[in-house]
Amino acid sequence: MDRVNLHSIKLWWLLVAFLSGMAVAMVAEELILRAHGSRLEFAPQVPFLSAPTLLARLHNAEEVPFDMKATVFTGSRDHEFAHNEERFVVSYDIWEETFAATRMKDPQKQVKHMKANALEAWCISQMSLDLAGLGSSEPFWARLEIRAENPERDRGLFGQAVGDSGISLLSTLTDIFSRPAARQQPHWELNSPRLTLDELRRRKS
Amino acid sequence: MGLTAMPGDDELPLPVSNVTNVNGRFTVESVTLVGWTMQSVSHSLRADLDRVVGQKLDHPRLEQLAARLKKELRVADVSVKVARGSTPEHVVVTFEVTKGNPRRLDLEVAKFLYNSAESWNGEATATTHAAGNTFMVGVVSDEDVLVERYTGVRARFERQEFGARRLGMSFEFDNFHDEWNPSTLAAEPASSPELYHDRQVFSPEATLRIAQAVELDFGARFSRIRLSTPATRTESSNGVVTTLRYHPRWGSAEDPARPGDPEHAVDASYSLEAATYALGSEADYTRHYFRARYRFHHVHNLLEIGFLAGKITGIAPLFDRFVLGNSSTLRGWDKYQIDPLGGSHMVHGSIDYTYRWVQAFYDAGAIWDRADEREPRQSLGLGLKKDNFQLAVAFPVRAGHADPVFYAGMNF
Repeated sequence: MDRVNLHSIKLWWLLVAFLSGMAVAMVAEELILRAHGSRLEFAPQVPFLSAPTLLARLHNAEEVPFDMKATVFTGSRDHEFAHNEERFVVSYDIWEETFAATRMKDPQKQVKHMKANALEAWCISQMSLDLAGLGSSEPFWARLEIRAENPERDRGLFGQAVGDSGISLLSTLTDIFSRPAARQQPHWELNSPRLTLDELRRRKS
Repeated sequence: MGLTAMPGDDELPLPVSNVTNVNGRFTVESVTLVGWTMQSVSHSLRADLDRVVGQKLDHPRLEQLAARLKKELRVADVSVKVARGSTPEHVVVTFEVTKGNPRRLDLEVAKFLYNSAESWNGEATATTHAAGNTFMVGVVSDEDVLVERYTGVRARFERQEFGARRLGMSFEFDNFHDEWNPSTLAAEPASSPELYHDRQVFSPEATLRIAQAVELDFGARFSRIRLSTPATRTESSNGVVTTLRYHPRWGSAEDPARPGDPEHAVDASYSLEAATYALGSEADYTRHYFRARYRFHHVHNLLEIGFLAGKITGIAPLFDRFVLGNSSTLRGWDKYQIDPLGGSHMVHGSIDYTYRWVQAFYDAGAIWDRADEREPRQSLGLGLKKDNFQLAVAFPVRAGHADPVFYAGMNF
């Protein structure tokens, strides 16, 4: 009887270890990069339009702003060599069932009539970075961050806590302790391993 | 795989449209309210909801309307749902009302005021809702409203719909300990009205919603006071009370999509309270009280004109006598200097003008027992006002030295 239990425990441990490894691998997903001359491009590997809460807002004819930031670090990963920040406002055409996006930074661009994965790819393609001045064998690390903005509501001194009958203590406390909002905000962060432009070019060839 | 813009995509040349939501080209076919009757929505808000029909879809505007609905209907949430309409390029909009309050208990600071002529005043309440009933308990200490400082507890039960949609009911019980200003103690008359230590009030009332902007409250008020001298003696003041209220509103200044539209609102009421021996009352008096307030709101300008008038026949207890010279009437005057025992007749007018956060006001009024005591007084003031918060300084208009009075707080 004891032996059977021992076997069961080992199997359980194996299963737990396997699932934990998979989970860690999924969370620590590496950023896939490509080099075109001195430009660094990011692979469209983040299905950011698939988040259920965002998809529900989009299907309800709302627009959802996404903030993206691409950064390249050099030195001992402590020097920001280049970065690019963009805001994309995405909406979903409820009659056509296609997506559209507007890049808000100048020069503004707009795309329409796209499927989700094509729109994700277009947004990511706008995040490429110019690495002119970076040595071919100089090591660097890249990071891509994507953050969806929560709907704006309840502006004012105390937001919704202030009503005709007074100021609601529970509302105020709830608001305060539910911050930082970033915890509710759908966001993604992908990091590359240590790379050089030479290594990227060799991968391409 | 190259990651430049997708070949064949619909990337537009500069400049792009200001409309970032592709659904902004669709026309709203209809607007419906689910979970609430449209008839119980105010005229101005209903008009704003109706205006959405036939317009292009503007989601932020719909969210603003949902927020106004939530505030007006006092419900837990109002969400906006947009779906395809019956014809292409059209959409239907549904406002879904969630009645139940997700918060079992709401703690609220109902009033907070510092008045340099008096002291601190405050009221905090705890409210819970269940099955259409509202239960509230609160603690209060207030010297601003009456001649006395009353400190104690309130408990209230309220039901919005009692057998019929137009009929509501409420019961309130108050238990207060009373303190008196030295000016009042010095002015205490040998005869009635007498000072008291404690006061208990029980008020059962019904509310009949006659029309959209007309309501009638009717009920009774049973008050028992324990007199200061002798300490063991109690007296009752029981009577019937009725209030007729009229509060229409026109325009839609609250609609950010129509910022140029002015909004007018009137809030007027007439109250009659008759204490009678027939209800076991030791006092026999009649109290008439009329108040009206007109409000005009246009862009950043807010103009409010107020009028109050009151008359008591017979000898009313001190808590029912009129007071001028507090944080809402004859601001800048000290009520204890004007009339430390309150008055049986009163008339008062005020004009408040607010531009953005800056407020200026003018008050004029008189309070008296006998006609020869009637002395008109005026005051002026300046302040800052945002939402329910206010900070103000007011001066009595009179010859000679005039000390300013400072007010700071909310909901006063």
